[in-house]
Amino acid sequence: MKDVAKMALILGAVGVVATGILAGVEQATRGPIQEAVRQEILAGLTVVLPPFDNAPDQDTVELAIGDPAGGTRTVYRARIGKEVVGAAFVETAPDGYSGRIDILMGVTAAGVLSGIRVVQHAETPGLGDKIVLDHAWVDFFKGKALGNPDEAHWKVKKDGGIFDQFTGATITPRAVVKAVKHGLDEFQSHRLTILGIHN
Amino acid sequence: MEDKSYSSIAADGFWNNNAVFAQLLGMCPLLAVTSTAENGIAMGLASMVVLIGANFVVSLIRHWIPREVRIPAYIVVIASFVTVVDLTMNAYVHDLHKTLGLFIPLIVVNCAILGRAEAFASKTTPARAAFDGVMTGLGFTFALFVLGAVREVIGMGTIFGVSIFGGDYIPVLMMILPPGAFIALGFILAGVRIINDRREAKRQAKPHPVENLQVQEASA
Repeated sequence: MKDVAKMALILGAVGVVATGILAGVEQATRGPIQEAVRQEILAGLTVVLPPFDNAPDQDTVELAIGDPAGGTRTVYRARIGKEVVGAAFVETAPDGYSGRIDILMGVTAAGVLSGIRVVQHAETPGLGDKIVLDHAWVDFFKGKALGNPDEAHWKVKKDGGIFDQFTGATITPRAVVKAVKHGLDEFQSHRLTILGIHN
Repeated sequence: MEDKSYSSIAADGFWNNNAVFAQLLGMCPLLAVTSTAENGIAMGLASMVVLIGANFVVSLIRHWIPREVRIPAYIVVIASFVTVVDLTMNAYVHDLHKTLGLFIPLIVVNCAILGRAEAFASKTTPARAAFDGVMTGLGFTFALFVLGAVREVIGMGTIFGVSIFGGDYIPVLMMILPPGAFIALGFILAGVRIINDRREAKRQAKPHPVENLQVQEASA
C-alpha cells in the first residue's frame, strides 16, 4: 500500500514538473506564435488583395460569410485613403477530397476576384495539393467574377465549366471552384456592409 | 550496459540497430511524412530533438522512477518534449510547422523513442543516453531522408523541390501516396539487407586465410 502511494506521488511529481515546464514554454512562445500567424495572414492578404495602404488585419468586420456551419468570419478590408478598395475573407470548402479546404479570397469593391490562396487543406500530396502549388491554376481565378464566366461555366471543365481540373484529381479543384463561387455570392449579399456604405 | 562504448552506441544507433532499417519502428511518421526529402529530414530532426531530450531526462531520473510506473513516466517526459518542439516550431519555423504540424504530435507515439528510453536510456548515464539519442536520431533522420528522397524523385521528379528529369518525366504519383511509402520502404529494406550481407561476408572473409588457400589451390 505504501508502495502504491509512493508510486502515485512520483508519477504525480513527474506530471507537475512537466506541466510547469510546458506552461513556461507556452508563455514564451505565445507571442512569437501570434506574430508568426499575423505575418502569415498579412502575407496572404497582400497576395490576394488589390494594392492597399492601410493595415487590413486591423480593419475588419465580422460577418456571416465563408463558414458552411453558419458562423461568422473575419472580413479584412483593404483601403486606399478612406475608400474600401477590396476585402478578403476565408471561405471554407466543406467537400474537399480529404476534409475541408480553407481558401483566402480577395475581392475588389466591384466584386471581381483579385486573388485566391489556399491557406489550409489536407488534400493528397502531389495530386490535390496543386491547388496550392500550381500558380497558373490559382492565378486563373484573378479577374473572374459573378457573371464572368456565367453561372453555367463556374465549374471545372469536367462538369462543363472553364476551370481546369488536375490529372487524377477532380474532387479537390471542384470543391475549390464551388467554394469560390459561393464566396462571391456571399460577398455580393454583404457588399454594402463590407464597403461601409451602410451598417 | 553502463560501459557500452560511444563508438558502438554510434554504430548501433545509426546503422546496426537503426530504428527504421533494423527495428522497423516509427513506421507511422515514416509512412506519413516522407513524401518529400525535405519533409523527411525535418521530421527526422524533430524526432531527434525529442529523442535526445527524452533519453537525457529519462536517464537523469532513472533511479527515482519505480519500475511499475516507468512507462507512464516516460510517456509524460516524451510528450512534454514533443509539445515543446511543437510550440517552438510553430513560433520560429512557422511555414515548416504548417507542413508537418499534423504529424509532430504523433512523435509521442513513435515507439522508437519509447523504445530507446526503455531499452537504453533508463539503464545508462545521461551523457551516453543523450549521445544514443543523437545517433538514433541521426539514423532515423537518414532513413526518413532516403525514403523521402526516393519517393520524391520517382513520384514528382524532383529533389528538394528542384526538378531533375526535365519536363518530359511523367511522375509516378503512386509513390507519394501511402502505398508508395510501403513499396519504397520494401525495396530500401531489401537494399539494406544486401549491404549488411555483403559486409558480413567481408568480415568473415578477412580473418580467415583459408579462402586465400582455396584460391591458390584453384589456380594451381
